[in-house]
Amino acid sequence: MADYYAQLLLNGVVAGAIYALFAVGLTMVYGVFRFINFAHGELIAWGAYLTLMFSQVLPFALAVVPSMMLVILLGIGQDRYIYKPLRQRGRITLLIASIGLSYLLRNALRLIWGSDLQTYGFEAARGLSFANFIITRTQLAMVAAAVVFLGVLYGLLKFTMMGKSLRAAADNMDLAEIMGINMRRIGLTVWTLSALFASAGGVLIGMDTNLEPMMGLTNLLKAFAAVLLGGAGNIWGALVGGLFIGVVENLGVAFFSPGYKDAIAFAVIILILLFRPTGLFSIIGGMR
Amino acid sequence: MDYFFHILIIALVYTVFALSLNLELGYTGLYNFGHVAFFGIGAYTSALLSLAGFPVALSMVGGMALAGMTGALLALPALRLSGDYFGIATLAFGEMVRLFFLNERWLTKGPMGLPGIPRPFGIQAGVSGLPLYLILCILLTLAVFLAAYRITHSPFGRALKVVREDEFVAQALGKNVFSLKVRIVAVGSLLAGLAGALYGHYITYISPSDFTLNETILVLLCVVLGGRGTQWGPVLGSFLIVFFQEFLRFLPIPVDFGRVVAPIQGMVYGAVLILLMLKRPEGIVPEYKV
Repeated sequence: MADYYAQLLLNGVVAGAIYALFAVGLTMVYGVFRFINFAHGELIAWGAYLTLMFSQVLPFALAVVPSMMLVILLGIGQDRYIYKPLRQRGRITLLIASIGLSYLLRNALRLIWGSDLQTYGFEAARGLSFANFIITRTQLAMVAAAVVFLGVLYGLLKFTMMGKSLRAAADNMDLAEIMGINMRRIGLTVWTLSALFASAGGVLIGMDTNLEPMMGLTNLLKAFAAVLLGGAGNIWGALVGGLFIGVVENLGVAFFSPGYKDAIAFAVIILILLFRPTGLFSIIGGMR
Repeated sequence: MDYFFHILIIALVYTVFALSLNLELGYTGLYNFGHVAFFGIGAYTSALLSLAGFPVALSMVGGMALAGMTGALLALPALRLSGDYFGIATLAFGEMVRLFFLNERWLTKGPMGLPGIPRPFGIQAGVSGLPLYLILCILLTLAVFLAAYRITHSPFGRALKVVREDEFVAQALGKNVFSLKVRIVAVGSLLAGLAGALYGHYITYISPSDFTLNETILVLLCVVLGGRGTQWGPVLGSFLIVFFQEFLRFLPIPVDFGRVVAPIQGMVYGAVLILLMLKRPEGIVPEYKV
């Protein structure tokens, strides 16, 4: 029985690693631009679907590259043509625009690829077993990718000039600009990273389960929960928050009906908001 | 003619729904992105009560009451958050309520939905009851419209606008901002419950797929397109959207392309929301600023 729970825990960490990727991107955008991008989930879904499209003509590993690039363009484009002109107009305008954009992108997805479940068509592979645990190759890839991406991000933030200016901008955008930090470059970097993480996570989720048009929204809500757990704008908080959501969600399956698996993240959102609106890990310093 | 009645009824249901959202979004500046939850609670409660044998009018009141109470209960914790976070919390709540409808089969029959919901005051199901139901809808919409007018033109309503413009000013004027917000969310949810009940008793069949994020987007569009924080905006927006939706049915679209109509419609709605924000955030009817 203990093995059963340990296996659930392991699954939770794997899922959580991907949620962390989404949450880190979402919280970075919040940290710099002070608004929550409701269209972030669609970057996830587009990353997955574009890879599906390119994998029909390219080997899978190569197909990821153009799809990620397109998603990055999408991320930069949405900022340039929609969010930037609205930045001075107040937050409600931005929020409604980002909700509208997510709806537009999600329906475009349905138009092009249909509403049915799709897969990358990998053959079912036997999981590898260590001791009493079972882990699939995809899951290993998920954890590895998350570690690589987040490790690179850590290096970038900690040791490069770009990272320093990013943290400065997150702390105070106006002050950073006065100090001569190029805000255009900051914006580009933030959107690039956020879109890159989203599309990578989307592909990995698509490999692990399947692709469907609503996958963006489902995962967005989990990323929200993770961001709130970590305290908005706090990158490392979002990372821990993502892992936490993944673990709680998978352990929850042992106690509730699996139909409520997605509801656990929502319950976490509501509970956090109730008791600790600044986030659980707001003490741990991070990007801000 | 019957079809025209049907469109009018749906438009009126959406008008009530949009008016209730406008109280929160337009007048108080609360970004409620889970308003469909209260629409659903109203619909399900009223349907279940009337199927259990209670008089329909009483069931509808029950649906409104439960929606209003749930709204107040959600508002108490959620309103401790500002702006964007309130949006997330309500969005999550909306999804949670939908999952509840989907999973609690003993109560809601899950994805099968609830068929055979009776209409109120002995109005017949089917086409023959349409004119009477339309009259009922007109009367109730009128009542909600007047209630919204009374609320927004009272000192309470003016205080809400102050909260929207600047919470600190409202506090400095001695207003209890938190209490104002909780009360308006309760009222908004109650009216959304009424819209839901009207919908359920009209269609006579409801299932969890009637209460998704799509409905939230649609009603958001009704309010934003018509004009946030105005009396007539939500009415105009709802009629425009519902008529547009029904008008699409008459376009000579080949059967093969039937599959693509819904996504394209969704894309249009999303694009309209973005364009409105970029070009005309105040909507068709601009708010009168003193």
